[in-house]
Amino acid sequence: MQSQRILTVVMLYLLVPGGAWGQTLSAEIDRLIVAQAGGTIAGPASDAEFLRRVTLDLAGTLPTPDETRKFLSDVNPDKRTQAIDRLLNGTDYPRRMAELSSVILLERRDGQLVSDAGWQTYLRESFTTNKPWNLLVRDLLAADGVDEKTRAGLRLMCDGGRGDPHVRTQDFARIFLGRNIQCAQCHDHPTVSDYLQQDYFGLFALLSPSAVHRNKQQQPLLIETVVREKLTFQSVFKPENKQSIGPRIPGGSEAEIPVVVAGQEFAVPPQDGLPGRPKFQPRLLWAEQLTAPTYRPFARTAVNRFWFELMGRGLVHPLDQDHSANPPSHPQVLDRLTDEFIAHNFDVRWLLRELALSATYQRSSQLPDELPAASVVPSSYRVALPRPLAAEQLAQATAQALGHRTRLNAASPAQDSNFTYKDYINGRLPPPENWHDVLVVFVGTFAHPAGQAEVDFRPSVEHALFLENDRLIAAWLQPTEATLTGRLQAMTDHAVVAEEIYLALLARLPQDAERAEINEILQSQSDRLAAIQDICAGILSSAEFRLNH
Amino acid sequence: MRGRSLTFIEGEVNIPSTNCAGRNDWNRRDVLQSLVKASVATVACGLPRALPAETKGRAKRVVCIWLDGAMSQLESWDPKPGTEFGGPFQAIPTSVPGLSISELMPRMAQQMHRFSIIRSMHTQYEDHSRGVIPIQQGDPKNRGVTYPLLGSAVVKLLGKEDSDLPPYIHIKPGSGGFMFQDAGFLGPKYGALALGDGKAPPNLVVPQDEFKARVDRRRQMRDRLNSRFDQQRLTDSSAAYNQTYRVAEQMARHAELFDPSRLRPDDVARYGGSQLGRHLLQARQLIEAGVTFVKVTMFHWDTHGDNFNCHLDGVSQVDQALAALVDDLVVRGLYEETLVLILSEFGRTPKINARVGRDHWPECWSLGMGGGGVQSGGVIGKTNDLGTFNAHEEYDIGHVYHTVFRALGIDPLLEEYDNGGQPLPIANEKCGAITQLLA
Repeated sequence: MQSQRILTVVMLYLLVPGGAWGQTLSAEIDRLIVAQAGGTIAGPASDAEFLRRVTLDLAGTLPTPDETRKFLSDVNPDKRTQAIDRLLNGTDYPRRMAELSSVILLERRDGQLVSDAGWQTYLRESFTTNKPWNLLVRDLLAADGVDEKTRAGLRLMCDGGRGDPHVRTQDFARIFLGRNIQCAQCHDHPTVSDYLQQDYFGLFALLSPSAVHRNKQQQPLLIETVVREKLTFQSVFKPENKQSIGPRIPGGSEAEIPVVVAGQEFAVPPQDGLPGRPKFQPRLLWAEQLTAPTYRPFARTAVNRFWFELMGRGLVHPLDQDHSANPPSHPQVLDRLTDEFIAHNFDVRWLLRELALSATYQRSSQLPDELPAASVVPSSYRVALPRPLAAEQLAQATAQALGHRTRLNAASPAQDSNFTYKDYINGRLPPPENWHDVLVVFVGTFAHPAGQAEVDFRPSVEHALFLENDRLIAAWLQPTEATLTGRLQAMTDHAVVAEEIYLALLARLPQDAERAEINEILQSQSDRLAAIQDICAGILSSAEFRLNH
Repeated sequence: MRGRSLTFIEGEVNIPSTNCAGRNDWNRRDVLQSLVKASVATVACGLPRALPAETKGRAKRVVCIWLDGAMSQLESWDPKPGTEFGGPFQAIPTSVPGLSISELMPRMAQQMHRFSIIRSMHTQYEDHSRGVIPIQQGDPKNRGVTYPLLGSAVVKLLGKEDSDLPPYIHIKPGSGGFMFQDAGFLGPKYGALALGDGKAPPNLVVPQDEFKARVDRRRQMRDRLNSRFDQQRLTDSSAAYNQTYRVAEQMARHAELFDPSRLRPDDVARYGGSQLGRHLLQARQLIEAGVTFVKVTMFHWDTHGDNFNCHLDGVSQVDQALAALVDDLVVRGLYEETLVLILSEFGRTPKINARVGRDHWPECWSLGMGGGGVQSGGVIGKTNDLGTFNAHEEYDIGHVYHTVFRALGIDPLLEEYDNGGQPLPIANEKCGAITQLLA
């Protein structure tokens, strides 16, 4: 019956001429995806599957058992749209987006210029007010540290390895332009004809004059050096062929370098041991040109990244290989979304809403029975793709499921915590008791190394050992009134216990076989708490818990 | 083993290697002929390139001993007693007729019919910060990517990344952790699991007997859930994730391998009782259990001062531990399948400085290898009488990489990496294998 329904939907899409469904962007996207599917597509996600997925994506945590129950019993046909709007306007949304955008922008690079708290607060406030993505990025890139309100921007520009202008150039090309131009530092890219060395150095000329200096109060300030001439470079393959270029964003025009008259080069002259602030600041050109609505690569790369975050695969994939020889899987989808993202003033909340409303997002991750998984290409979006929870999502989900989230969030955040991952994992510190320190442990364990885009799943034995054996998990499995195991211990009916376990950990109701399994374990074990803990720990280490699916 | 050994007397084979990209990749018959003729330089470059390798690598595993800071060749594999720069130590004869090594290595002297040395290394880096990584990467041509260190490369090329035990383990003094950096562009999956002082990674817990049933219950719960989850789903992510639990389980099952306190005292004594000895003993046990690549690091070789006392101490530790390792692998029938490699980032200066030290010397230095896929009792190359430079042919670390890969049955002329569509050679294409060293 399910496949019959799918067929009907497909036929409907095919029968309706393009445009008639164009009332909403999400419907238009669905039509384009289906038209190119090349085979059966999976049915819609169940309500539980949908609610878990969208809560992880937009709130960064799991729905509570009550939320899931309420959603499952809700008969309103608009309940999915309502859930999306509730989450986008919820208190978790700015925090989740601050965490996500921090991972996108910093790629786990840390640093000393700006505190974690300052950086996170800046991002959280930006998403609370739904600051347009281009303005958020522009202000971060343009920040010079003089104004305390935007000082967080130094972290993006110069911190944690980005003091090296080549690192800055390569990172920003990947993050904002979707281009991995590392090769082009030494020569035109050998296999990608679009990535040229002159683009690399044009970008480098925009970014390299920026450097951090500290004033007498030890405050970090970004001050650019005076640019007097173009950069010269040569390919390692043709060292005799010297070339030169001034500041130029890829695809843009080269900025004229003003003639420097001695004594008139500074807007703010050198003082107090600090170099002068030049009148000509390529960084500001970069910040303006990159984020201008007319500069398409920025919007396109952002759209591709947010699509990736919700769908599990970029329209351009890999995300840092946007070039003519690697076209998007669905060029029209990317173009339409890019157009509309620009037209909607880079409104991230709007973009996420459109994506989450689409049938493509709301597809099941399970294929119809008759279809072998091996025959499905991920880029067809015929089925939802399982993807890993980021370290922050995993921390939230684990704490939420085991009943510790409320307590930890209420604990006073340690602004100047000396808590380090290394000290903790080597047994020199007790398990963390506030959210900041919990995140330190989860990020230390599960995040990618600094400077690497978190766009792939890299499970390791240390992750497995952590979820199985770490002191923190063991502590969270201890029963108190508020914790999951405590609540379960107080329940006498095995069927109720089974339901609560599945709702809390997996945000769904157990199947009959799963109820029977839990009943059997509880009946056969004299130590009821141990049995409950083992069931919870087993589920915690399952792929179903670890993945967003 | 002994019957197969083939001894090269110093200076007999004279191969201009560095200027013949790929062309010193001769097959075995040519090498044997060349030995008979003892004059091969003219033949070498006339050979067609890239003949299919006639010899099949036999090694399946590697123990790599990294002497960080650089061991002196003059106090180990290439002594020059009684010469201007020879230092105080004598040379002693070995089990290979005509071959002498430093008197600081009496036990290895008795193992030399099972081991080979290259005395004419010549590399490009003379300081640690620039040398340590490139040497362990085989000093590939710079292509703007980060090449993997040898362990990551071997795991990738032998296809061992999904082994039940971690395929690449690094035993080192100090702290441990997962060393993803080793893997370079191959990606962190190929990184090293480092055991600080040989100790287990965090959270590796061996369940007490009374807890075992609970561990089984947890695993059963997980397995059932996982198999249901995988039905009709794309399973790339879940398969990779679930594999990590199998590795964790295997490690817990073999927990004794990750617990240096359980090493047997008599074994520890045979390996010399030193930290290096304990780490090499642990390496042997890991190899026996099926780990593909074990790297063992020993620090503090940078003897700019008091070179001779330091080497008296350090080389003696190496001698006892390495000889015991070779012995143990032979006794267990593992030596023919295990390549043992011992090296540093360069050698040390012949000239003795004012602090009775030796400085950095990439111009000519020695390294050792033995076991699977390589010849026994071989001596490749020769330094001049004062030990200041190589007398004839010399080898880059790229040649060593080619040789190690060939010993493992990997042909660097046929295999290459695929770095997201960018083909990359697995070893420096300006070099070739030192075929006289291959079994």
